[in-house]
Formats: sequence, C-alpha cells, structure tokens
Amino acid sequence: MSLFAYIVRRLLLMVLVLVGVSILVFTVMMLLPPGQRVSIYVTSERVTPAMMDALIAKYGLNDPAPVQYFRWIAQILHGQFGYSVTASAPVISGFVEFFPVTLELVLFATPFIILVGIALGTLGAVKKDTAADHMTRVFAIIGYSLPTFWLGLLLMMIFYGFGGIFPPGSLSNDAHGVVYSAAFHRYTHLLTLDGILNWRWDVFWDALYRMILPTINLVVINSALIMRLMRSSMLESLGQDYMMTARAKGADNRTLYRVHARRNAMLPVITVSGLTFAGLMSGMVITETIFDRKGIGWWMAQAAIHLDVPAVMFNVLFLGVIYVVINLIVDLIYAWVDPRVRLA
Amino acid sequence: MHALTLVETGDLKASFYTFEGVVQALNGVGIVLNQGETYGLVGESGCGKSVTVRSLMRIIQAPGRIDSGRIVLFLNRDDRTHGIDIVHRSEAYMQSIRGSDISMIFQEPAAALNPVLTIDYQVGESFRFHRMEQMLDETLIDLDAARGARRRFSPARFAQSISAALLRRERDGLGRYAERVQVIDNELYLLEEKQDGQSEGRKGELNARRDRARSKDAFVSLARHFPFLRRYRRKLDATIHRHVVELLTMLGIPNPENVAERYPHELSGGMQQRIVIAIALACHPTLLVADEPTSNLDVTIQAQIVELIKTLKKTFISSVLFITHDLGLVAEMCDRVTVMYAGDVSETATVKELFRNPLHPYTTGLLASVPKEVQDEELAMIPGAVPNLIAPPPGCRFHPRCPHRMTICSLEKPVTIEHSPGHWVACHLYTEKDAPHV
Amino acid sequence: MSSLETKITGATGRAEHPRWQEFLFTTRRFLSNPLSVIGLTLIVFFGIIAILAPVIEPPKYPDHYRIPHTGFRIEPTPPSAAHPLGTTQQQYDMLYGLVWGTRSAFMIGVLVVAANLLIGVLLGAIAGYFGGTVDEIIMRITDIFYAIPFLIMAMALVVAIGRGLKAVVIVLIILEWPSYTRVLRSDILVTRGRDFILAARASGASHMRIIFTHILPNAMYSVLILASLNIGTTILTAAALSFLGLGSETGTADWGQIVSLCRNWIVGAPGNRFAYWYTVFIPGFVISLFVLGWNLLGDAVRDVFDPKMRRR
Repeated sequence: MSLFAYIVRRLLLMVLVLVGVSILVFTVMMLLPPGQRVSIYVTSERVTPAMMDALIAKYGLNDPAPVQYFRWIAQILHGQFGYSVTASAPVISGFVEFFPVTLELVLFATPFIILVGIALGTLGAVKKDTAADHMTRVFAIIGYSLPTFWLGLLLMMIFYGFGGIFPPGSLSNDAHGVVYSAAFHRYTHLLTLDGILNWRWDVFWDALYRMILPTINLVVINSALIMRLMRSSMLESLGQDYMMTARAKGADNRTLYRVHARRNAMLPVITVSGLTFAGLMSGMVITETIFDRKGIGWWMAQAAIHLDVPAVMFNVLFLGVIYVVINLIVDLIYAWVDPRVRLA
Repeated sequence: MHALTLVETGDLKASFYTFEGVVQALNGVGIVLNQGETYGLVGESGCGKSVTVRSLMRIIQAPGRIDSGRIVLFLNRDDRTHGIDIVHRSEAYMQSIRGSDISMIFQEPAAALNPVLTIDYQVGESFRFHRMEQMLDETLIDLDAARGARRRFSPARFAQSISAALLRRERDGLGRYAERVQVIDNELYLLEEKQDGQSEGRKGELNARRDRARSKDAFVSLARHFPFLRRYRRKLDATIHRHVVELLTMLGIPNPENVAERYPHELSGGMQQRIVIAIALACHPTLLVADEPTSNLDVTIQAQIVELIKTLKKTFISSVLFITHDLGLVAEMCDRVTVMYAGDVSETATVKELFRNPLHPYTTGLLASVPKEVQDEELAMIPGAVPNLIAPPPGCRFHPRCPHRMTICSLEKPVTIEHSPGHWVACHLYTEKDAPHV
Repeated sequence: MSSLETKITGATGRAEHPRWQEFLFTTRRFLSNPLSVIGLTLIVFFGIIAILAPVIEPPKYPDHYRIPHTGFRIEPTPPSAAHPLGTTQQQYDMLYGLVWGTRSAFMIGVLVVAANLLIGVLLGAIAGYFGGTVDEIIMRITDIFYAIPFLIMAMALVVAIGRGLKAVVIVLIILEWPSYTRVLRSDILVTRGRDFILAARASGASHMRIIFTHILPNAMYSVLILASLNIGTTILTAAALSFLGLGSETGTADWGQIVSLCRNWIVGAPGNRFAYWYTVFIPGFVISLFVLGWNLLGDAVRDVFDPKMRRR
C-alpha cells in the first residue's frame, strides 16, 4: 500500500471517529432541557423568556433526537456554531480570541516537557541504581502525584506572593493596552510572535515572562511520564545484542549511548510525546484557571458551569479533530524514523 | 610460553552477581591460543565458553565481572614477544583494540545488527573508529583533486577549501592523539613485567592519563554539532562508503551498493551474518572470535559461512577462535580445541589427538553421545544435568556425573597437567603420573 | 530422579508448591524495595484514618460528610487548640474535612477503578479473544473515547447529569474504561498466539474455559498495574473537578472541595505574605501524600510483576 493510500485510509478513519465524537457530544447535550439548547441556534444574545417557546418550536428542539442531530450537523457544516454566553460573542469569535492563548502556552511548554523527560530518563538509565537514578525517579514520582492545582497555587504563593515575580495572567495591564490598540497588528494572535512582528519587544518579554510559572507547573507534572518511559526504553535498548556488537567494534561511550542506544530508545517516546502534546491542548483547564490565562481551558470551565452548550460542543469537536490529526502525524513520523515500520 | 602465543589466560575467574546469588561462571580458566591457528572452544550451553571469550575483549555485561586472573594478549603488531595483561587496562585502551586487533561475531546476526541504522553506517563505523586517519587522508587527496578541477574563485571551490581545512584539522588532531598515546603505551610496555608498588602506581597514573586524552578537536566537535555545517563531511562519508562497498564485495555479497543502502531487517539470515563478519573484519584484526556463528542458521547457510571463514583465514585473518557445541564443526575447522565444562577447562589438545585419544571422562562422554554413521546401539548419554553454578559441586565440577569418580574428586579441584606433548587434561585420573604441572 | 523429588517435597518433606514459592518470592521482592514499603505504609495509614474517622472526628450532622463550621467569617484562621489544622474560608474545620475526606477519596478511587476494571476486562477480553468485527467495533469505540478531551467532557457531563460526588464517580467510570480495554486486549493478543493456547484448543477446551483458566491469568498483569497506578490519578481528577466547583457542594468533606476554598487566599496582606499558607498548603499536601502512596504501590506492583524485570 502506498503512502497516499495509507493517508486516505487514515483520513477515512478519522472521519469515522469524529462522527462518533459528535454523536457522543450530542447525546450529552440531549440530557439538557430544550431551553438550554436554544443557544446553538441563536446568533445574538437577546433572547427573552417570551421568545423561548417560539424559538423552541422554531428549531424543533422537541423533535426526535436523530432529526435534531442531523440538523445540527448540517448547521456545523455551514459554519454556524451558535452563540456562546460565556464569551458574549458567537462561538467562532470566542474561539479566535481564546485559542491562541492556549496554543502559545502549549507550544512553549511542550518542548521543555519532552526535553526534560528525555534528559532525566536517559540519565536514570545510564546511571542506573546510582544516586542520580534514584533522585530522578523520586522526582518523577512526586511530580506525578502532585495535584496540578496545588502545585500551581504553591508556585504562585512562593514566587508571586512572596517574591513578587511571575505574576499571573497573560499580559500586564500596560501590555494589554498596547495589544488592543489600533497600532498593534495581531497577525497570529500569539502574543509573543505578535510582539516580535510588531517590533514591540516589551510585549514579547511581558508575555514570555508570564508563561514561565505555568510552564514550570506543567513540566514538573507532565515530564514524569516521558521520563519513566525513556528510562525503561533506554534500559531495554542497552540490553540488546546490537549494543554488544557496537562495543565489540570498539565504540566509545558517547557513540554507544547516543547513536546506538538512544536512537532505538526514542521510538516509543515519539508516540507519547505526541499524545502529551494533544493532551495538553485539552487539559489546560486547571492551569489556565489558576494562572488566570484566558484560553480555551478557562473558557470551558466557565462554559460547563454556565451550561454554555454551543461552546462546549464546538470545543469538544475541535479538540477531537486536533487529537486525531496529531495521531496521524505521530504515526507518520514514527514510520519515517523506524525503518522496520512500513505503512502497508 | 611460545614466541608464537597470541592469547593466554591464566586462572581466570569471573562471576555474575545476580539477584538470586553469585553465579560462579569461570572457575580458573586457562587457555593458550597460538598465532595462525584455528582454535575451537567446545562445551554445553552454560559451560562458560561465551564468558571466557567476552572477558578476552572485556565486554562482559553487568552483573558479570572478572574477579581475578590474567589475560595476556600479544597483539602488538610490531613486537609479538611482548604481551599485555588487559585485565586492569583502561577502557579507552580496550576500545582501541576492540574491532581493530581482536573482533567478535555473534550467534544471532539479526539481533547483532542495529535495526535503525543502515548497513553502510554500521560497517562504516568500524572504519570510523579505527581507520579514521587513513580515511581522512584519502578524502583530502580527493578534495584537493576536486578543488584543482574547479575555477579559481567559484563558491564550490571555496566550500571545498573549508571542508579540507576542517578535515585536515581533524586528522592532525588524531595524529597528535596517536602520538601521545604511543608515548604512554611505550612506557606501559616497559612497566608490564614489574609488579612492585611504585610500578603499579605509575601504571595506574598512565592509564588514567590515557583515558583522559582527548582525541577530538574542540573546534571540529563544534562544527559537527550544527546540521548545516555538517555538509563538510560528505566527502569523508563518500570515502568510507567506497571502502564499505569494497569490503562487501570481497566477502562475496552480491550487489554491494544496493545492500549498503538497506536496513538489517531487509536481508536474509545468511546475508546478515556476512555483514556481521564484514564489520568484524573491516580493520584486519589479528584475531577473530566467532561465538557460535552458525547455530541459528540453516544447515546450507551454515556450510557457506564455514567455507567463508575458512577462506578468510587464508587471506585476511591470521587466527580464529571458534566457539561451538557441534563437534562435527570442530573436526572440520579447528586445529586445536579446548573442552569446557561448567566453568572449568577439562581438556585441551589438537583435534586429531582429542578425537583419537580423549582423556577426560567428559570428553569421552561427549564423543560417545554423537550419533555415528553406523549406529547399532542406543545413543549413549551422560547421566545427570549441568550443575547450578550458584552452588556448584565442590572439587571437580564434573564429579557427580562422572563414571570414574573417586573420593578425591569431590574434595579437590584437579590441576591441569600436560599428559602428552600438547595434550592437557584436568582430571584426577591422570595426576598420579609424574607430569609437569601448569 | 532423586534431585527432582527433593525439589518438589522440599527439605522438610512438606509440599513446596511452586505457587507458594512464587508468592513468597513476590512478597520478598516487594518488601525489599524501600519505596514500595513507604507506599504501603502511606496507604495503610490513610486506610486506618478512613476507618477510624468517626472516632477521630465525631460527626456533628446526620450527613457525616458535612463539615462543621464555627461561625461564618470569611477569613481562614490558623491552627489552634480548637482547630488543630486551622479553618478554611467560611470557617470549616480543616481537620474534620481532611479526615472524612479520606473516606470519600478511598470510595471514589476504589469504586471507579473497580468498575473500570470490570468493564475493561470484559470488553477487552471479548475484543482480544474473538477478534474480527467485534474487535473492530470495540476498538473504534475506544478510539472515539480517546479522541474526546477528557477534562472538558468530564466537566460537561457532570454538569449535565447534575453535580455532586455521585455524578463525578459515574462520569469517571464512563470516561476511563477505554484504556483498560486497550491494555487488556493487547496482552490477550500476545497471550493468544502462544503455543499453550493452541494446545488447549487442540485438546478441545471451550472458549470460556480457555479465557478464564488460560488466558486471563497470564494477561492480567498489565491491567492490574494500570489499575493500581490509576487509583491515584482518578483521585486527582476527582479533586480537580471538585476544585472547579463541579463536585460536591461547599462544605462537604471532600479534598478537592477544601482546596478550592483557599483560592482567594494565596497572597496574604502586604507585610505578611504568607499569612494563609496553611490553608493552601495542608489540604494539597494530604492529597499529594495519598496519591503518592498509590503511585509508589503501583510502581512496586509493576516492578514485581513485569516479566522482563523479574529475574534481574
């Protein structure tokens, strides 16, 4: 099977999964009474109780479920996602406003998580059963056991409360004023990039500065998994016969570890890294709530509490798409790196 | 000790420190390998053959360790009369002789090759580790020729000049390293025989210094780290590739250019084993150690590989140490042979002598249990099983299964004696005779 | 052969059954690792507290999980004689909350994981053993669940069902079973191909018998490891949901709930920045210890059961 055929097959599978996701989300939504489901169909805020019954009738919110489902799908495919009360704007606008904040932090934090995990895991494997190994393992297990919200609060208490550095939020008030002024062009909506593109380095540094504490939080908690996987994968790799051959060739230690052991050990880590990235996108709820960053995680927390149905449904679908796409990319990368895997 | 000795081990003891206990793998092994011969090492699984040869190259994996003993290698190409005891030598020293003076091929070729690296890279590694200066020289000659062919101020020529400069630096760095190491080594050779405290101290100091000597130029290392700058090494890679293809052709591998591009899992078992042999022979080692290279292959492929090794012995390698459990192969390939049992050396002799006149009861039992062409009676077998090496039997480790056991056998380990010229045996049946001890 | 006889009957003549040997070996291995002993101690410690909760902190309301509060003042108070661990916002007694919270934590963790194990093993066994269309369907369903953003969906579901700890438990069960199914299925696929299964089939064993007596005992290890590691993460998730306000109502003895009460008190007044450190630090610390205990235990279980690591 060629690469093209493989991708086509995966895309079809993707569609299947997304359909399943949409059905699942829809089912959850149907648990709510019709009054709360109206907001999918309205595009502005002003819905009075008097209008409610009329709207319910108009959009057939008491029709059988499958009918409503297809109606909803049709609407989605037309790009109509409804109005979000928590965003005070149509869902799409809210998304454009909130998603870059999350994306920025995820893009910033993920490389650190992966690098720290790989570095500590390799260290633990190479220096197995020494003090370094034990310390990294203890660090990993403690990091894994800490509740995200607690670590975040503690970090804020220590750094911000006590030290006054690393304040929460994504921008300071001054920078906020700059960013939302007319002179500032928001090309990418990513604060750091936009700062550079507009040649406003103060905005850039401000945004970066405020990402440090949440990144520390994320790294401590998420690198544990990668660290453990890397360690066990590296140990397995080191015990293989080809390591003996390499030693018998007269390989020096550096080559042994870097070229022979690590390349093989990295393979499973690729998959997990991809999944971590995808998981971070959807799991930023707590981090954003604590550090007062208004990204989709924060938005979803508000949306769930206020029963903002269209917002939740849209984001679930979107994150589902992200997950499936990232999976495909990870599989392709894996096939590219490991010559034994051919995509047939 | 003959002037022609290549490898000599004395009272070698090695153990594996596992969770369940200390496995006493080698119980005082002594073998003597001469230059130019094919030496066989025979025994059942678990008798210590692999551990012995791995300790020759000091590649025993944790939790195994060499406990005590001597391993003297006479690998100095200039001076074959001086051997070095490598048990306490530095790791850097061992890395310089592994693959270069003494090479090893393994039992499972598929597992022995790294699945994510191409054949070209894996064979080329042997050249990179030990023949780098030669490769660099050839590359520089090529580069100079290429530069001469270009117009004076073209960017291509400029790039090639930079490449040449960097490669020259690397080669000079290697040259300086080799000089430094040579000076240290010369002194170590002189101190080899001395055992007193001051000499030991000096040896340790020299070894440490040898370990620390950096062969890599800092500037070159920096350049190698940047993906863009790495292009300067392309000519070098091409040179090495040429040598790899040459080597593969010499080993009778068809379509070597194609094979070099491939990954190990794309080749057949016999082909993989040939690649493993190619890797081992790339730098013309003095000794080739073959650890059961044919046990996992089809009989027909087995025959091919055996033929290959025989041919190579005539042209390429001078000595082969062949490990097997197959006495037939021993008869076919080897000049002299050692029989091992449970970490002990039972008997050593020339092949003819061993088959004609086996002395040790274990050897007799082994020979008797091989099915003959005309097999009238039941297959003979040696009763009992190989002992657990965590708690081995006292005295001679074979005594529980020996049909000729005497009281002394369970009390004292028999010394190895030369029963007849060139025929050594470790058995109490023969120690009453007045024969020279080892 | 006499040596074989000695092995079976042992030096004392009593039958030293291999299973018993394995159990002793496993236990010894388990206890030789200091981290697993720490984990076990922590869990036992918390278990004792959970069991003795009515004794340590006698309940004041018919609903045992309502934390008594002395007064309605917003500001938390530091530890004192009356409140050994201080009080939270709105004067809930911290010690009471933490002690009874141990009970709810155990219940949530054990309930969710047990239910997940049941569903996961059932579906995973069916998918792995019978293969074919059934396998495909079950795998696609797990794919769908994997694609859904966990926390967001959990939040939505909890709100849709109606908040409270019961909803949290139900939601966690609904969302977590796919990973158990996948893990068990892959182990079954590996075990299924082994020769002794073929032998059992050839001798006429029925499907049920093969699954229960041959396959499951060999394939259970990974799932058990997953379960023991998951108790910790389940409790963390439940605490997170409570923290966001979606779990129990204010004033219930639930750890996440208690932490959420301290959100406003991270920064004390200028001049005394750490004024309310106890209200932030203590409940989270307790949660961390509990989860740490389960994680250490899970790690130890994995080290002991992982066939690759066994004989080193």
